[in-house]
Amino acid sequence: MINLRDKGAEFWDRSNRPVRVLTVFVMLAAIAALPYASNSFLQTPIAAFDAVLVYPMGIFILMAMGLNVVVGKSGLLDLGYVAFFAVGAYTMALLGTHTGLNTWEIMPFGIGFAMLAGLILAIPTLRLRGDYLAIVTLGFGEIVRIIAVNTEKIGGALGIAGIPFPPGLGFEYQLLDQKYFYWTVLVLILIVIWIVRRLSARRPGRAWEAIRQDEDAAELMGVSTYKYKIWAFVFGAAIGGGAGVFYASRSMVIAPDNFTLNTSILILACVVFGGMGNIWGVIVGAAILGYLPDRFRFLSDARLLLFGVVLVVFMNLRPEGILPRKKREKKFTSLQTEEGAK
Amino acid sequence: MSKPLLELKDLTIKFGGVTALDGVNISLNKGEILALIGPNGAGKTTVFNLITGVYKPTSGEVVFNGSRISGRKRHAITKLGIARTFQNIRLFGDMTTLENVITGTDVQNKVGFIGSMFGTPRSRREEKASAVKAHEILKFIGIDEYADRLAKNLPYGVQRRLEIARALGTQPQVLLLDEPAAGFNPAEKVELAATIIKIRDAGYTVLLIEHDMSLIMGISDRVAVLDFGVKIADDLPSVVQKDPRVIEAYLGVPADAS
Amino acid sequence: MFDILRTQFWSLTLSGIALGFIYVLISMGYTMVYGVLRMINFANSEIFMVGAFASLLVGRDVFHYTMDTIPPTGAKLALVLTCSLIASMLTSSLVAFLVELIAYRNLRNRTSNRIAPLITAIGMSIVISETVRIITKARAIFAPRILEKQTLFVFHGADIRLDSMITIFAGLILFIALERFIKLSRLGKGIRAVSMDEDSAKLMGVNLNRVISLTFIIGGLMTGAAGFFYVNVYENVKYNMGFSLGLAAFTAAVIGGIGNIRGAFFGGISLGLLEIYASAVVGTQWKPVTVFVVLILILLLKPNGLFGEAVQKTRV
Ligand SMILES: Nc1ncnc2c1ncn2[C@@H]1O[C@H](COP(=O)(O)OP(=O)(O)OP(=O)(O)O)[C@@H](O)[C@H]1O
Ligand SMILES: [Mg+2]
Repeated sequence: MINLRDKGAEFWDRSNRPVRVLTVFVMLAAIAALPYASNSFLQTPIAAFDAVLVYPMGIFILMAMGLNVVVGKSGLLDLGYVAFFAVGAYTMALLGTHTGLNTWEIMPFGIGFAMLAGLILAIPTLRLRGDYLAIVTLGFGEIVRIIAVNTEKIGGALGIAGIPFPPGLGFEYQLLDQKYFYWTVLVLILIVIWIVRRLSARRPGRAWEAIRQDEDAAELMGVSTYKYKIWAFVFGAAIGGGAGVFYASRSMVIAPDNFTLNTSILILACVVFGGMGNIWGVIVGAAILGYLPDRFRFLSDARLLLFGVVLVVFMNLRPEGILPRKKREKKFTSLQTEEGAK
Repeated sequence: MSKPLLELKDLTIKFGGVTALDGVNISLNKGEILALIGPNGAGKTTVFNLITGVYKPTSGEVVFNGSRISGRKRHAITKLGIARTFQNIRLFGDMTTLENVITGTDVQNKVGFIGSMFGTPRSRREEKASAVKAHEILKFIGIDEYADRLAKNLPYGVQRRLEIARALGTQPQVLLLDEPAAGFNPAEKVELAATIIKIRDAGYTVLLIEHDMSLIMGISDRVAVLDFGVKIADDLPSVVQKDPRVIEAYLGVPADAS
Repeated sequence: MFDILRTQFWSLTLSGIALGFIYVLISMGYTMVYGVLRMINFANSEIFMVGAFASLLVGRDVFHYTMDTIPPTGAKLALVLTCSLIASMLTSSLVAFLVELIAYRNLRNRTSNRIAPLITAIGMSIVISETVRIITKARAIFAPRILEKQTLFVFHGADIRLDSMITIFAGLILFIALERFIKLSRLGKGIRAVSMDEDSAKLMGVNLNRVISLTFIIGGLMTGAAGFFYVNVYENVKYNMGFSLGLAAFTAAVIGGIGNIRGAFFGGISLGLLEIYASAVVGTQWKPVTVFVVLILILLLKPNGLFGEAVQKTRV
């Protein structure tokens, strides 16, 4: 199979600055124009294409980027990621229906509460071995849902309805034409990309990589592994919480059924499919896996089955996903060509 | 004479029924190369594991710069100034050579998660300084040309040297080298010996585990010998070499019988 | 709040022990696999679910019983029960074998990445439960009535029911058989050797792949038997039934010290009792929460299980 990532990286290295800027600009413009392509082969049969672009695709991308920090970068298998999404969504739903705060004012609370939930889960569990962590987080995700189902004050099994849209800025967010939602989620995705990329290139990114590759060696080389594992968890939770706030504000109604274990598995599949640890891979993976079940009717009921198959097949045959993490070695290739030239 | 930099006092450790180390006393003076030798399974790596906090001693203690360090967290011990290499190479394979060393330098950096995320001036300053420092170390060890290659793709000998470079990255006072010449041919060993001397001359104190006698005799200031978890000799190389108990430990027969 | 617990103490106790035996059997699929692989068998909950379905199908489609037919008695009853039990055990062990083959073996030899096999195992678990969900249209399927829920005798006002007693006695027999087998047979010794030290087991000439495969199969046999008992006590099955029972059985294994067969026995029974008592006090909807809280507490306070070192020596 061709290595798309290396092809892309090669192009990037060859290009000079104007070409790079132009490439990014053209790609962004093309992506932003997607809602206008709804009457093409891209059209989805059940939900409208512009709505699918927001959810599942946009939200999945956000969540997959968050989970990728935890699973892909740090090697911590978190199967309860949906819990943070739920905390964000419920924060939005409760504050949005009970206070006069708007979506953007609630966002910091949603993110904050999700981070708090992440911290509460992380402090006891991150001392555990890897596979215990998996099952404890899995349990945690379900517990959050069961608590929501059984707490009448937050709507019980029926959930909460009448959640307000975000306030428009000279435009109105609309249910039937979701391009503003789409552009908003696009902006959120860009912000997360920007933050994740700078973290990856700096001390936290190195600490996470070291922990994933050899936790004992990392600790002995001075990495405070416990601390950075907690940060991975809390940071991932923040992104999940933010995605939850936005999701609730767009959907107007949420219920515990939106936050089952299945969602955690779907997001995990996005990460694995795209390529654990590589942000571009994860974005592409989440976009594809978010889109396919809506595009093909026969897949919509078998969505989860498809994702299960993806997990099994990809981990077995192509564990690095469709866009693997970095494999190329800049200077080495240039050294070789220099030597070759002599 | 001034106080030793690192002292192992009556270190004993038991694994289940096995006593891997039994009342071992070793002291390491600033600026010396102390070789730790002994047959396979004598407990040499276990000494490193006790110093660096991998294991807690059953009894006894490790004292560094006058304060007790056994019981502290492993990364805290590294931060205090003790760094090690691994007998079986344990690099971060998916990182580049340079990143491996920078990861080592991070322990002395002050910036944390928040600072890195917001890209504070200090964060940028430290990132830059770390990269510069890492390149310096790679040049010092002689593997800077491999800086951008992934550690897992490096030739074996370079990996071994990268282990040393990564440990130096943490800016230690004491450097613990666990069989750094394992698998080297004679020429590589000579080169490594020169590197270790260079490291010592740069002001580091070195505790070296090694099997190759000629290498040890050539570079170490002092040699300590372990056998079945007990220290049986600790003296100048030339003296230890003639010690009948050491010869017996190595050959498995009394010295005079051979 | 405690009224139900007080008035129905003995009948709750009986159901708790019966449920406990179901946990014990499922937990074998976790604890034995953990012993040899040092990894959680994430698909074990689905191995259980499949076994329960197999048992149900035998009664319904082979012997043509329904919920309303008159339950068999005597030799016929014994025949139907035996066939269902065998079917559930074989089906589960076959699935367990496949799980090992697909999710663990291939990756074991190829990568040292510890979370990779966990992810494939979760994938397998999803594939199995989703396939069943699609086939059954996500509905609960009611089991035919084969074992009449007759009261054998009354003890302190509690009905001692046939189905519970069969679960308890048959479960006990299966458990003892397994325990003896692990202790005495050649294969059992191989399993124990691998559990203690994989490398030296290899040196001693143990065929690692074979031992691991057989461990999954034996775990599958026990887990499948649990499916059979579950069907006869609770009389319905659903594609997602494995989740909560799997979590509970895993917790049972952790209580006993994972990898420790006798410990899991103790863990299963005590968790079954605790769960039934707790449900009587706080309501059944909190059952999974109770189990989860127990799991967290054990992992934090006694990560080696309640028996610590002492019983650890009798690991599988
Ligand atoms: N974690 C442990 N559990 C049980 N026994 C251990 C452990 N670590 C070390 N040992 C035992 O302690 C003894 C000393 O081991 P150690 O690795 O320190 O030897 P060594 O001198 O480094 O040998 P080599 O030259 O082969 O590297 C050995 O018998 C070993 O089996
Ligand atoms: Mg050693």
